[in-house]
Amino acid sequence: MTLSAFLAQIPWLSLLIILPLTGALLCMLCDPRERTSRWLALVTTHLILAIAIGLFLLQGQVSPENGWLWYEDAAWIERFGIRFTLAMDGISLLLVLLTAFLQTVAVLMSWQTERHPSMFFALVLLLEAGIMGIFLAVDLVLFYMFWEIMIIPMFFLIGIWGHARRRYAALKFFLYTLAGSLTMLIALIALYLLHGEQTGSYTFALAELAQTQLTAGQEFWLFLGFMAAFAVKTPLVPFHTWLPDAHTEAPIAGTIDLTGLLLKTGVYGMIRVAFPLFPAATRDALPVLAFLALVGIFHAAWSAYRQDDVKRLFAYASISHLGLVVLGLAAWQTTAWTGSLLLLPAHGITTGGLFVIIAMIRRRTDTRSMRELGGLWGKAPNLSAMFLLFALASLGLPGLANFAGEILVLLGTFQTQPVWACLAFLGVVFAAAYMLRMVQNTLWGPPADDREIADLTPREWLILLPMAILTVWLGLYPAPFLAPLQEPVQLLLGGMP
Amino acid sequence: MSGLELIALTPVLILALGATVLLMTGAWFRQPTPLVAAGVIVALAAAVTALVLVPPVPEVGGLFATNAYGRFFTALWAWIALLVLLLSERYIREHLLPPGEYVSLVLFAAAGMSLLSSATSLIGIFLGLEAFTLALYILIASNRRSDLAAEAGLKYLVLGAVATGFLAFGIALIYAGSGSFHLPEALQGLQTTGTLRPWGLLGWGMLLVAIGFKISLVPFHFWTPDVYQGAPTPVVGLLATGSKGAVVAALIGLFASGASGWQEMTSLLWMLSALTMLAGALCALVQTDIKRLLAYSSVVHMGTVLIGLIGQTKDGLAAATFYTVVYALASLGCFAVIASLAQGDDEPATIEQWRGLGFRHPLRGGVLAVLLLSLAGMPPTAGFMAKLSIFHAAIQADLVGLALIGILASLISFAFYLKVIIAMFMADETAAPRHPGTQSEHLVLMVCTAAVLLFGVLPGLLFDLIGSILS
Repeated sequence: MTLSAFLAQIPWLSLLIILPLTGALLCMLCDPRERTSRWLALVTTHLILAIAIGLFLLQGQVSPENGWLWYEDAAWIERFGIRFTLAMDGISLLLVLLTAFLQTVAVLMSWQTERHPSMFFALVLLLEAGIMGIFLAVDLVLFYMFWEIMIIPMFFLIGIWGHARRRYAALKFFLYTLAGSLTMLIALIALYLLHGEQTGSYTFALAELAQTQLTAGQEFWLFLGFMAAFAVKTPLVPFHTWLPDAHTEAPIAGTIDLTGLLLKTGVYGMIRVAFPLFPAATRDALPVLAFLALVGIFHAAWSAYRQDDVKRLFAYASISHLGLVVLGLAAWQTTAWTGSLLLLPAHGITTGGLFVIIAMIRRRTDTRSMRELGGLWGKAPNLSAMFLLFALASLGLPGLANFAGEILVLLGTFQTQPVWACLAFLGVVFAAAYMLRMVQNTLWGPPADDREIADLTPREWLILLPMAILTVWLGLYPAPFLAPLQEPVQLLLGGMP
Repeated sequence: MSGLELIALTPVLILALGATVLLMTGAWFRQPTPLVAAGVIVALAAAVTALVLVPPVPEVGGLFATNAYGRFFTALWAWIALLVLLLSERYIREHLLPPGEYVSLVLFAAAGMSLLSSATSLIGIFLGLEAFTLALYILIASNRRSDLAAEAGLKYLVLGAVATGFLAFGIALIYAGSGSFHLPEALQGLQTTGTLRPWGLLGWGMLLVAIGFKISLVPFHFWTPDVYQGAPTPVVGLLATGSKGAVVAALIGLFASGASGWQEMTSLLWMLSALTMLAGALCALVQTDIKRLLAYSSVVHMGTVLIGLIGQTKDGLAAATFYTVVYALASLGCFAVIASLAQGDDEPATIEQWRGLGFRHPLRGGVLAVLLLSLAGMPPTAGFMAKLSIFHAAIQADLVGLALIGILASLISFAFYLKVIIAMFMADETAAPRHPGTQSEHLVLMVCTAAVLLFGVLPGLLFDLIGSILS
């Protein structure tokens, strides 16, 4: 047996879900007071990262099946025609890679967790399993189950290890997301029944459901049902109010996962589920989507500008960035889509980096308020340099991660909708305004007090260096990450130029 | 009654005769543990017999079916009785209750529930319903030193008597309208037009009211929170699962007999279901006592089960059956957690008392969280599959409006289930330790949780079984 044939036989995609689940189970069995669980979590997340990198390197080497890079399928609940089907294309590959990477960061950043460490790491791994499931499932019920499973660990992470208003933020997060996903549940059952009545085959397979003939009215309502779930998660204004609370109150691992991964599931849901299932309704909704995205870009940028809490500022910045991503999708054009999809990992890493650094600063100074910070550069130059790097990347400085994605989105959008693109460009300028103001208030100026602040520790270097390298890499040479996107984007856009 | 019919009735006879023997023994032998163990063995024997027995006759006395459907529920209620007995052992010891009477009453109740679930005649329904209600009147008030228990017993008795009145009068009217007690005929008699038809319909309406009392549909639900709060927790476990489940099983049997007479009732049932789900969820939202909260939760669930029945499709009935079983397991598990944390009359009742309990007793806290999430319908628990199948049946039967109301109720439900979870795990303080729980209590917890997770991941196991007993 050749190596590639051997590799093709291993159920890698299932492993991406089973490994974190197993890790979570083992963590729960650990002594709740001991910290052995953190080693378990570290090993598990790195194993998963290794698999994800392996899949990235092997793409195309192992003969692809029915258009997917990797594909697994097994019978599950035959009564309803629900199958355990996992599939990976270039888009999910990038997002899986991002998930695996950010999860190692999340574990390392939570290394010193004192309260119930074994439960904490179990939940972090459970969350990883849920997110992986979302990015891989192509059976609607399976997708939906992961979609909901993911909410539970996040709810506990915010509610148990979060900051002062954590219970409120956790409940708000849970109920907002759930309201969206319950409407999706009704819509997906309705679609399943319509498809079954038409063809006689009752199935939840995405590819088959996409063939359903729907009247304009049916399509509109079902599209709305699905988009409710995705709009809350992305989040699109006006469904975004849960996000600043959840981001601000969550512990650092939770914030990294929220911003780096959970928001991406919303966008991923749109392109994987809502758009292909309801193409006509999507085309009609594009202007509305673009409008909401633009409102989001400006509203969030303005809100970010007015924040004093740096963490909350980054939360609003996330909404603004995701607005740009959705705008790129609404342009319905290859370049813009590629840019949007590249922005997902870029935003995950840069904003993740910003949240990591503000957590490090808070550990040192006990504050996140701009008024109480200042003059950090003189006290901790290395930390400040890293902070500046991620801040500049986040505002879209050429040569750093976000730039490539943003410019592609703007260029692509300009070709189909010049007005939208010009407005969005203004939004990018806004991003420079709030970021630079934040940098000015924290890094420069007179120090708030004469307390000494320690510079980066070796573990913190270990966390930040890979993120910094990726930030520069994505900015200077994004080609390896663009390549896997070409084919799926063409496919999803239906052969658009 | 012929010998063959007696053989067909063996599982119920085991329960009833076992209960009688234990009642006699209890008169002079007053050790709780051996008596409970004997009761457990009786229940187990009944459950096993119900599963393996091949009945020689299809119907007993024109009252009770011996088909797979009836035997499935007989086995289920025997199992529930078994779990309730395991749960009651410490309660009996701590409250010095007469063990023989307690155990035999639980077994009698199970026998009554089994009869009700397999009834094929209005008389059978009456007999079964009264048999277990009578046992429950005594069990609810069995803790004689508690005022709340006395109040609960009295409330259940008075409203139970009212329900019995409705039931008896309703049956009489149906008989007058259709000329038969036997089930398919009694329903079909309704279809023929005649001067007596309105009386028959009124009879069915009254029957529905009686059933509404028993499974606490809004507006017949007012007794539920008080009784749940006052009655001994293991008994509430039996009340919430077995007594409600058996009535629902009888309802499912009624609908499965293919009677189209119910079509007249559809709009009435629609409103009952919508009202029950919404009012139940909203009332639960403001509760501060966990047993009252679970009482309103059961109200919401009964409203949801109705959705599966209204459509009168095969899938709908299967969904309702699945829902009932899953609800029974999850809700019994919840009461098992509460009972295992109680010591004497000191029980964690208000949400305040649950604060920080999750980390003080992580196993039971975690189990309760899983069971509450199952009641809320969160994957990967069985509650999600139950919800999925019910909504599937609803949309299939063009009940989209009702499904949307169900979704709304489900969203509100999440808020109050999460309230308990938040109190357990997200409080700042750590609670004082509670009773560690006995082995038998932990066994009950584990059985319920394992089943809820198993049917959540592999629902096909239960669905296949239900599909075969409904055909």
